Amino acid sequence: MIMNETLHTPAPLGPDEARRLQVLIDLNLLDSAPDERFDRITRLAARIFNVPTALVSLIDAERQWFKSRVGIDVPETPRSDSFCAHAIQQDDVMVVVDACADARFANNPLVLGDAGIRFYAGSPIDVGDGVRIGTLCIVDRVPREFGHAERTLLRDLAGIVANEVAALQLKATVERERRGAAALRALLEHLPDGVLLLGQDGKLVSCNPAAERLFGAPCQVLSGLAPAELLGMQPRAVARHEGNARRADGASFAADVSIAAMALDGQAFLVATVRDAAWHRAEQERVRAANARRHDFFRTASHELRTPMASILGFSELMLKREFDAATGRELIDIIHRQATRLIGLVNQMLDLARIDAGGSAQMHPAPLDLAETMDQVIAALEAPGQAARIDLAPVAGPARVTADPLRVQQALANIMANALAYSGPDSRVRVGIAPAPHEGRAGFTITVRDQGVGMTPEQRNQVQDAFWRAGSLPDVAGNGLGMTIVREIVALHCGVVDIASTPGDGTTVTLWLPLEMPAAPEARP
Amino acid sequence: MTRRILVVDDQPDLRLLIRMTLRALGEVSQAASAEAAQAALAVSVPDLLVLDVWLGEGISGLAFCRQLKDDPATRGMKIMLLSACGQQSDVAAGMAAGADHYMVKPFSPETLLDAAAGLLAG
Repeated sequence: MIMNETLHTPAPLGPDEARRLQVLIDLNLLDSAPDERFDRITRLAARIFNVPTALVSLIDAERQWFKSRVGIDVPETPRSDSFCAHAIQQDDVMVVVDACADARFANNPLVLGDAGIRFYAGSPIDVGDGVRIGTLCIVDRVPREFGHAERTLLRDLAGIVANEVAALQLKATVERERRGAAALRALLEHLPDGVLLLGQDGKLVSCNPAAERLFGAPCQVLSGLAPAELLGMQPRAVARHEGNARRADGASFAADVSIAAMALDGQAFLVATVRDAAWHRAEQERVRAANARRHDFFRTASHELRTPMASILGFSELMLKREFDAATGRELIDIIHRQATRLIGLVNQMLDLARIDAGGSAQMHPAPLDLAETMDQVIAALEAPGQAARIDLAPVAGPARVTADPLRVQQALANIMANALAYSGPDSRVRVGIAPAPHEGRAGFTITVRDQGVGMTPEQRNQVQDAFWRAGSLPDVAGNGLGMTIVREIVALHCGVVDIASTPGDGTTVTLWLPLEMPAAPEARP
Repeated sequence: MTRRILVVDDQPDLRLLIRMTLRALGEVSQAASAEAAQAALAVSVPDLLVLDVWLGEGISGLAFCRQLKDDPATRGMKIMLLSACGQQSDVAAGMAAGADHYMVKPFSPETLLDAAAGLLAG
């Protein structure tokens, strides 16, 4: 046996062996199930040539594996013993009339062993580009002659095997493409963005379900409409167009449109993707507005801080550098004191507002409180003399208990009261009422503060909660414009409502509504 | 010849401060808004206008300044803008509106006096 293995000659490897092996592997034929399309050819070959054995043998790296076999039980043998490994090295049919008389095969185990091969004829299976994956071969236990006609016949049969391989390959390719196309179609069907295919004539050819949803009509209807109308732009290749698209019913919606040129079977198309941009734009606008508000706030805040400083620094410098009689000096000191008081009031309110803004509802300390008692405390805390006497607090029917942050509510009420007193005549009355009242189905209490002051126009009423806005007709009022901003922030944290009703010259009524309970988890603002 | 100065500011304390500061330069009158100043200018045009930028309700100091510099009747009058808006862009906007000088609040009365004297001499 040792002698046998050492003396027979394995086939040399071709120059393109690596590529040949790759093609063979890619065909997915190795170790596949028996296939009638090949079996009928081997049966036919055995019959025609009257041999016991016919094979479709595929030459793998280390073995020959039989895709189809007649007259042999093993599915594969080592490549080193393979006759076929020799056969694929030549262009035409390889014939071994008598293996015992052939130096290449005389010591081959297939010749010496039980297989007892004497005759072999194999025709390479060429799958294209000169790649020979194996052979169609016939084998006999006795030497035989193999004439020209028989060679031709074997070559033709090998050609049929090659055709069957090509057919299998084609089928696999078609299947792959079908799956790819199906995957692509599924992708388009489920893509959240609308996709529209526009033909050369500018008409809509087809679109995906998302586009039908966005534009509110099936594709057949949409194709009857002008794409320029639908897209809100003349269709042309564009990376990103932020505009307004139009639904089939004419309603316009914010849309981001991208259009790419595309060629299909030599025809030019445009592919438009459309995304509903309403949320995105609203978000952008919200951020822009918030930034603008913040910018305005800081600009105004610095203006409002500098203005009292101008009086304080200016008058004190005058007093240091010039001589004044006692009465004038006192008057100037009074101005400095008044402006310094205004300044510290402003600083405190700005800090309050910053704390409310930064802390949010997490910094709230809700506790049970009685609104009538809170209002009494607010009135008692009024500093200016004689102001408390101007207030008529209507008797409250029963306890007015809510759960809220006592300090914050007191602060909001104090600001509302301060405004009502400051913007009305020194002898006029300010009427305050507290009553249970539901709001949008929620139980709660309203606190109404009604003055008989200068009142406001509708525009002024809208502005009044803007930071630093002050009723212009009374520049002498020592307010600083942050009072109602703080009220608004505090009420929002309690999920309450603040409403201002006013007409110029006829007083202002501020109505504040608080729920019985603060919601445990305030709704997140979108 | 007595120089005449008009001070426009919505804050009474500041009008007083500016009047006291500039009294040495001439006759100082005052207005609380651009509209009130317009009425005063219709009667007679002073040598110098000291003008606040943020005047509360009504026409702004910047727009008023532009308007006066575009009007042949008031073009010759010197205008000093006086504002608590002290950013570079605020100053640039003031100068673009045609102001002859821009002073930021708070200010030193002495500096205001020097600047006003400079404008009246120029």
